[in-house]
Amino acid sequence: MASIDLSRVTVTQANELIRKYGADGEDIEVINPDARHHIGVGLVHKVRLHIRGSAGYFCAGLTDGPRVEVDNNVGWGLADNMLGGSVVVRGNAGAIAGVAIRGADVVVHGNIGSRAGQVMKAGTLCCAGNANFMAGYMMYGGRLVILGNSGEKVGQDMTGGTIYVAGNVNSLGTDAMLIDLPADEADDLRAFLDKYEITFTGTFQKVVNAGKRLRYPRTEPRVRVIPFFQASGDSAYWNAKVQEDIHVKAQIGRYRIRGYGAGRPLPHISDLAFKRDLSNLPPDRDVVNKVNMRTQIGGRFGAKPLDLSMPIMIAAMSYGALSKSTKLAMAIASRLSDTSENTGEGGMSNEQRAEAKQLIYQCLAGRLGWNIHDMQRADGLEIYISQGAKPGLGGQLMAKKVTPEIARIRGIPAGIDLRSPSRHPDVLGADDLVIKVEEFREATGYRKPVSVKLGAGRVRDDIKIAYKDGFDFVELDGMQGSTGAASHEVLEYVGIPTLSAIQEAVDALAEVGGTKEMPLVLMGGIKDGIDAAKALALGARAVAVGTGAIIAGGCIACLQCHVGQCVVGIATQDPEHEKRYNTPVEARNVHRYLECLRWQLASIAHAHGYKDVHEFSRNDLVALTPEAAAITRLPYAPEYRERENARLCAAS
Amino acid sequence: MCGIAGILFKKQGSRAEVGKALIDMLDGCQHRGPDSTGFALYHDAAPGTLRLRFIVGQGAEAELAIQRVKDKLRDFQAEIIEEDRAGVGYRVDVKFHGDVQKFGYELEEAAKVSSVGESLDIIKDVGSAHDVDHTYHVKSFEGTHGLGHVRLATESDVVPEASHPFWATGFADVAIVHNGQITNYYKLRRRFEKRGYKFNTDNDSELIAVYLADKLKQGSSLKDALRDSIADLDGTFSFLVSTKDEIGYAKDRLAVKPMVKFENDDLIAIASEEVSLNRLFPGTALNTSEPPPGTFETWRRSI
Repeated sequence: MASIDLSRVTVTQANELIRKYGADGEDIEVINPDARHHIGVGLVHKVRLHIRGSAGYFCAGLTDGPRVEVDNNVGWGLADNMLGGSVVVRGNAGAIAGVAIRGADVVVHGNIGSRAGQVMKAGTLCCAGNANFMAGYMMYGGRLVILGNSGEKVGQDMTGGTIYVAGNVNSLGTDAMLIDLPADEADDLRAFLDKYEITFTGTFQKVVNAGKRLRYPRTEPRVRVIPFFQASGDSAYWNAKVQEDIHVKAQIGRYRIRGYGAGRPLPHISDLAFKRDLSNLPPDRDVVNKVNMRTQIGGRFGAKPLDLSMPIMIAAMSYGALSKSTKLAMAIASRLSDTSENTGEGGMSNEQRAEAKQLIYQCLAGRLGWNIHDMQRADGLEIYISQGAKPGLGGQLMAKKVTPEIARIRGIPAGIDLRSPSRHPDVLGADDLVIKVEEFREATGYRKPVSVKLGAGRVRDDIKIAYKDGFDFVELDGMQGSTGAASHEVLEYVGIPTLSAIQEAVDALAEVGGTKEMPLVLMGGIKDGIDAAKALALGARAVAVGTGAIIAGGCIACLQCHVGQCVVGIATQDPEHEKRYNTPVEARNVHRYLECLRWQLASIAHAHGYKDVHEFSRNDLVALTPEAAAITRLPYAPEYRERENARLCAAS
Repeated sequence: MCGIAGILFKKQGSRAEVGKALIDMLDGCQHRGPDSTGFALYHDAAPGTLRLRFIVGQGAEAELAIQRVKDKLRDFQAEIIEEDRAGVGYRVDVKFHGDVQKFGYELEEAAKVSSVGESLDIIKDVGSAHDVDHTYHVKSFEGTHGLGHVRLATESDVVPEASHPFWATGFADVAIVHNGQITNYYKLRRRFEKRGYKFNTDNDSELIAVYLADKLKQGSSLKDALRDSIADLDGTFSFLVSTKDEIGYAKDRLAVKPMVKFENDDLIAIASEEVSLNRLFPGTALNTSEPPPGTFETWRRSI
């Protein structure tokens, strides 16, 4: 057995050693752990890891296969997202023990802290002592076994899985109920306790989901399609969309869910113009070779950065919201244009991984589809805090799209209206987030960029926190961003416009002296190379396109993404509908769209006399509206509007 | 957004290494708050003396502030016994018999007050625990008990006066360190202001300190004050409070913010994370516990 002394080496060094011994199939002991965080994270080998003392946060987190023993206590997030293997803790565990586990056995001989088993999907979390507040909070599956008392609100917002309580059920959570325990389940529990040598002679009560809140009582009716572009007409008061919205609410009696983003006119990047007259640019097919556009992003702390042929990425969209064919087309297009693709919330497919040259893997609060193996084969890791279309809220995936396959990947019951959690179980403040980021870095040996996606809200503070918490870059998403499903009111009225977001973010970074260190990737209504150029001039290092990319790939913007019966096969999981989507053809279309953006961006940079696309600065811009001027502090110059119109015609 | 720590030695009287213990504990959780670090330290003082601690800045600005403080001391007939300057801080021990609350409010007009008390001294500045120790020599401090705090600034600037711990403005010897957010801050603050209380900052932690000190003034025990605070304060919090003779904790009912405690015959130590507690006993597995949501407890020094 190999021995590692944590009074002599750092946790990072220890984890490298643990993984190396693991790969060699050698068992490991860790001495003098002294409650340090992240011990054993990222271990994917079936070896024994014995921690002789207490461990800190995320002990054995992001692992698959090891058998871990801890002689004393552990901190928050024990066995975070563990896929297989086991952890036995002889002392107590802090909050969210067994968070998001997907198959392991996690046994704590003492007590467990609050929210144990939050968003767990499979496996068994067993506590020989007492549990605490909201045990089994938002669990999707698996077993939570409590030999002592349950604590208050056990099973709060649980969707699936089972909770067994031998002591008192102090109180039940919302939509949880007590039912009789079948004899065979009692036998299974005994077998489990025997396996881990826990002596127990009592009886269990069984807590399950009561099923009253898994589906909305009524679904959105089919409506005559009013395209997004028509819906976002000039009148903010009474237009066809408002009328339709009222009709829908009259039928379902609640807020209405739809796809896409804010249709309401808002200050935007298109309210800016370049000072330089670009209306008579000579056609130059070779212009993309005259301007350096290659952009590296994510190397702030020595990770291998993303290496993009141009500062334009594909924005995060999930497999689930979109069909597999569509995700595949995005991956192919990103490879053809030598840029990056992003998994979104729904996990990573082999096909997508194979096609995308550079793939960012997104981690959301529900940890749906999240696992160490896909982390290891990703090119970048992204912690999603929120998105511009619905800042502060979780995703919605309606039952029609929660097929058995989608449910399997995400680790949830099929056929529910999935309302993803809006808060990470282990990120309840900037202080927790530091420890989370460190967990990702430890688990992947500090080799992958870790970024954060922020929906524009409290931008100035959030950007400062992102900078201090040590992210490699920020994906900043404004209110003009779209989504596969959210409530209409949220889409229209909640958020901060993309233009305000980038300005606040740039100001915040300047205040903390982080402008050069932490790049910003701007998204939310970026539609062409002109928007991209302006975004770079405002201070973004790169932009990402989502809506533009799916429109390029055949989307007709009918706003019915949530329904799951997308007529062009994009926002659907129904094979009948998906077969209308021709992946190779649409991949070429998306690729051509991206190349068009490249050409526009290069043309504008070249016209400015720039050799590098990152030479743009805010001195190149003026504001066409008083609002845009107030937001950006750029000079208000409405006289540029005429020229802007002419330029747009020429560029198109 | 931060890490907190507190320690009370039960047996050693006023000769315990409180400064060193708190530096070790805060160094252990500095990752939770790299921007600034602070200490609330309690020593045994001669009766009738008050220790005043100010943040005065540096250079000419500091000289002016100190002069203003001295003018105020003269107005209140407070006789200077000893004074000391380090970093951005100015400490002065005075003989004073009078209304501390009025005195404290008036002093704030002269310079930024960090703390007032017979026993209390709050030392805080930007930088790490070791940075602050380097400037203010916290390590050599011996006393009975104390609190510590590392801060990650989220909504306010990285300046010494926004650092924790906070003194309960106007109430001698009461200090607080807090991790979380009080969401009914303005509502409660307006109530206190109607009663003539003043606040030196816009920080919600100061409000908790004043809330508790006010309860103590009305005759509550610290334990009762903490019990009430869990009902009266909205939001997320794990906080530690200290007075001349006691330390205590309270934790919100949602259990959002971490807290771990360790107690033996010699001491009680509480921190955001066990890794801080373990710094006091390297190489030893400790029998710690995590206070349940909605709970509170106090400990009193024996000597």
